[in-house]
Order: sequence, then structure tokens, then C-alpha cells
Amino acid sequence: MDNSSRRDFLKSSSVATGSALFGALGTNYAFAEGSDKIKVGVIGCGGRGTGAIRNVLDSAPNVQIVAMGDMFQQRLDNANGTLAAKNPGGVVPADRCFIGFDAYKKVLASDVNYVILATPPGFRPMQFKAAIEAGKNVFTEKPIAVDAPGVRLFLEANEMAIKRGLAVTCGLQRHHQQEYVDTIKRIHDGAIGQVTSMSVYWNQGHLWVNEREPGWSDMEYQLRNWYYFVWLCGDHIVEQHVHNVDVANWVLGAHPIRAYGMGGRQVRTAPKFGHIYDHFTVEYEYANGARVLSMCRQIDGTASRVAEFAIGTKGTAIPSGTIKVGEQTTFRAIKGNDPYVQEHSDNILGIRAGKPLNEGKFVAESTLSVIMGRESAYTGQIIEWEDMLNSKKDYAPAKLSMDAVLPVPEVAMPGTTKFF
Amino acid sequence: MLFAGAAPPAAYTEKISGTLVEFEMIPVPAGSIEIADLTRDGAKVRVAIKPFYLGKTEVTWDEYDVFNLKLDLNEAESRAAIQMKTRPSKPYGAPDYGFGHAGYAAMSISFFAAERYCEWLARKTGKKYRLPTEAEWEYSARAGMTGTPDRALLDKLAWHWDNADDATHRIAKKQPNAWGLFDTLGNVREWAVGLDQQPIACGGSYTDEPKDVHPSARFKPTPEWNKRDPQEPKGKWWLSDGPFMGFRMARDAG
Repeated sequence: MDNSSRRDFLKSSSVATGSALFGALGTNYAFAEGSDKIKVGVIGCGGRGTGAIRNVLDSAPNVQIVAMGDMFQQRLDNANGTLAAKNPGGVVPADRCFIGFDAYKKVLASDVNYVILATPPGFRPMQFKAAIEAGKNVFTEKPIAVDAPGVRLFLEANEMAIKRGLAVTCGLQRHHQQEYVDTIKRIHDGAIGQVTSMSVYWNQGHLWVNEREPGWSDMEYQLRNWYYFVWLCGDHIVEQHVHNVDVANWVLGAHPIRAYGMGGRQVRTAPKFGHIYDHFTVEYEYANGARVLSMCRQIDGTASRVAEFAIGTKGTAIPSGTIKVGEQTTFRAIKGNDPYVQEHSDNILGIRAGKPLNEGKFVAESTLSVIMGRESAYTGQIIEWEDMLNSKKDYAPAKLSMDAVLPVPEVAMPGTTKFF
Repeated sequence: MLFAGAAPPAAYTEKISGTLVEFEMIPVPAGSIEIADLTRDGAKVRVAIKPFYLGKTEVTWDEYDVFNLKLDLNEAESRAAIQMKTRPSKPYGAPDYGFGHAGYAAMSISFFAAERYCEWLARKTGKKYRLPTEAEWEYSARAGMTGTPDRALLDKLAWHWDNADDATHRIAKKQPNAWGLFDTLGNVREWAVGLDQQPIACGGSYTDEPKDVHPSARFKPTPEWNKRDPQEPKGKWWLSDGPFMGFRMARDAG
């Protein structure tokens, strides 16, 4: 399909077959079937983007990676190394591999009909909007933005995606992980009564760090060490902890209405760690009165926990697989599928069935929730949802170019740093 | 099971230099054991065991963290180790699953990582630490026991699916076996070098049902154990879906 408009794509697909298969979506991989080739363009070919390449190729038949973009040749070469054995067409030829800030535009201008967005999150809103405008189905990694202007841009483009019948799924893979799906369905069916309180955690050690090398411009350094710069990463509460706060939103069926947070940069203080924090604690309040305690930390040698817990009026649950009423375990989920594959299987199945999934709203809400937590911690203030959604605080640099001068921003100081 | 030869030297405590971390090694007497050869449809094969030492407990996070977090290196050495990839990569998430850390068995450890740890410890101490062989492991886990422990005995010896409450437990909280070894059965499965020189997991874990926790229990590693590592290439050091994998130290005696 050279003209990749959604309509042409659907015209050539067997909708009836697709629908039947969609209904058969099972507890394990439901391999999406269909005769239409899913031509994948990958924007951002780091470790996760390349992992997503492996996942999408495993998710359904007749899927091929046909174009790739990144800031760095080495990343494209690595991705092609993975593709050599796995991709139906082998490596992606050089004239379909694009480098630079506008690489995404070139990928989108090609004949792809399924785009994986896996660059650092700061680029996501702009790339997502461009993908939807180009009429592509999208799998976007999480989070979908690092600030409120980015979330608003994403939501606007998501509306367009819904109108145009384009699929939008996201890298909050717990939504495609059978244990979570089975457990949260039971919670929603009342297994523990009304959920009044939750606690959610992503506490672990340090992550990777890429130290500055001679000859790197400010921009190159920050791109290669992107985790430690808010304009690219959003801070770890946004980039990583979004998974757990998202589970709270999913269980409670709502986004928080305000956040009361604190945090700091206590151990990971060396310049190579940019200006992000190393720990946050946030209390989220929901419209129905429920409260969620959220903790995240990236400090070596500290007690780790990546988990969610829910307390209801009749029982308790671990949304990743256990429900208890009193002392009695009433449900224990069976561990099964690979959610990183399943999220593509489900997406492709939806596309081929003519029932495109749209996960744009919840990924945007979960992203804004953690941005709200971050801003509360950075400023030391209580932040309300509406204020957060309308915030003008834009972390992006004025100019995207490799020679841009980008001083490392000051570390946010609660009580001094302002919310706007 | 036969016992032959003189008893090996006494138990000793190994200190990891430059740290406060230490662990105990227990002498295991020479002998022989008949085990199932998985590469030949479980045909019984008798293997002679030379005297050796085996860790009294599974390797703990306290021990593993010195290696993993490069606690024995200065800043420049750390940087070099990262560059040379001689120490574990950063795991995705929390490899201890938040079950507990100090005094808990290191878990989610790949065979590759366990071997690198042995090499590191050997250099560090000047003693040839290694993983046990499959035969050594079963011989030690049995400590003279024949057959399979009944449920009452198993509960005294091991953390398994029915008594562990979905988590590992602090080491050495169960009764040791006849030779003074703790948690050989249950808690975490333990890496050994199989009869075919390939990695094999022994003994069962907190994720295994009681029937699968016994001295002859074997689990062949599969890619499923690292299924959910979302990165490409997948990490070599950690098992994203293998929380049940740990190991203990072995060393030749004499």
C-alpha cells in the first residue's frame, strides 16, 4: 500500500475475518492475522525502540520494518543488526534510514502504515502530531510528553486520530499484561468493594549514564545522556513511575484532581546526572475522595520495590495478580503473556479488524498525573489538575540543533521554583 | 550413596576484602551419587564426588552488591568496569522484587552473571570459587537423604509455593540439612553446571509447588526467563522473568 491513508488500508483488508479474530483475543498472544502488510516505521532506535522492533515482528504475521530514524548512525546500525535475521525484508536499506532532528518527517513521508515512536519523551508530542497528520497508525512509547503544553498538543492530535480512525496504542504495557487485565477487571467488578486507597512504587537503583565526551556539543551530550534532562526525559517520576501511577488511574477509573508532593536530589548529585531528582513522594487525591500514595526513587543500595497495592471497602488487591478478602486469597492471576509483544498484537488486530484501539486519553492523563506530581515536588506546592493541564511551563529549548548552546538548568528548589 | 575418603578440612568464613561482608563455606565429604542424566532421558549415572566446600547459604545481596554495585572500586575503576562491561548492567526495575535485600538471597541472576561473580570472587580472594556441578549440588542437597522429603520435612527445610507467601525469605530461617547447608531446597533455585556442562537450575524455589522442590529437581533455563526485558539487545546479567534464580559458591578442597 503506497498511499497509506487509513481508508485505502481498510479497503484492501478482510474486515470480516479481522472481526472474528478480534473477538478471539485470548489470554495469550492473539497473533494478529490478515493479509495486509503492516509496514513499520521506527522513530527512535535506542534500546527500547530496537526492543519494540523485536516485539512488533513477533506480534503478528506479515509485519515488516521498512523505515527507521534516529539521531545517530550507530543506533540505526544496531537496529539493523537485530533486523538482519528477523525482518522479512532483512536490513532496512540506507535510503530508508534517516538521521537528524527531521528524521521522523522522512520516516513519515515514506510508505509506512504503522509508526513506533520511541525517541526520548520530549520529542513525542511533535512527532505524534506529525504521525497522525500523515495518516499513520501509531504505537507510542510512554510517557507522551514532559510538560503540559506537550500533553495538550498530544491530546489535540489524539482527537484527530479518533476522527480519522487511526489506531493509537501506548507503551503502558500493563494494559496488555494478562495478570493486570484479569485482576483489575475483578476489582472493577467489585471484588474488593470501592477502592479507597492505593500505594504505588517504582523504587530502584541508578540507571545508565553516558558521560560527556570531548567534542560533543551541549545538544549531543544531552541527547546521549537524555535521562538526566527534564526537557527530554521529564525526570524519572514521569519517565518510569508513570507505569505505576497509571495503574492507580486505571484501577480508580479516573485521573487525580490534585497532587501534594515532595522530592529531592540527595545522592545522585554529580554533574553527569544533569538536573533531575533522585526521589519523589506524592499524594494524589481523586474526585471520589480516594487517595494514592506514590513513591519513586533511583538510588543504589536502597530497598527497591516496583509494585502497586489497592485497599477497598471489602478487601485488598495487588493489581499485578492477587485479590484478598480478609485472610482469604480469592484470586491469583496466572502469569502468562509477554505484554511488550501483546501490545502490538492487540494494536495490529484492531487495525486489521477495522476497530482501531485508542489509548491516547489514558496515556495522556497518566502522563499529566506524573507531571503534576513532579511539579508539586519541584515547587513545594499543591497542584490542581486544571492548573496543571493549563500550565504554560514549557521545558523545550528554543532551538533544536546540534550546535545549540544548552546550559544545564538549575535543580528545582521547592519553595523557590515557581509553577506557572 | 557411598561415603569414602577422609573428611575435608573444616568450615571457614570468607571475608570480602575492603568490605564488612563475609560468608561461610562448609566442607562436603567425598563420595559418589547416582543422578539422572537429563541429556540421556534421565538415565541414571553414578558420579564420583571429590571433597569440596559449598556455601552454607545462598549468595546474599550483601555479597552480590559488592560486585554488582562496584562497591570495591573507586570512581575511575568503576568507569572502566562500565566501559569493559565486566560488572552487571543496570537491571530493568527491581531484581529483588522488593522482597527484602540485606540477608536475602540474590535473585534474578543469570547463569552468565553467576559465573562472572565467581571469577571476580576468585580474583578477589585468591581462592578458586566456582559454581557447583549438578552432581555436587544434588549430593550436598541430599546430605545423605534418599528419595524425596515428605511434606512435613519439606516445610521444615524449604520455602516453596505453599508456604512462602509469594516471596523469598531471609536466608537460613529454615532448618539446615544434615550437613549444615541452608535453603538448598526452595527459596531460590540454584545455578549449577550440568552433566553436559550446560547451565542447569536445581532444587526448586518459592515459585515452585512442593512436588517440584526436592534434591533431584532440575529446571532447564529457557528464553522465557528473560522474556520481558524490553530492551534490545536483552540484558545478559539479569533475568527479567527469572526472580527464582540464585546460586551458591563452591570450591575444591585440597
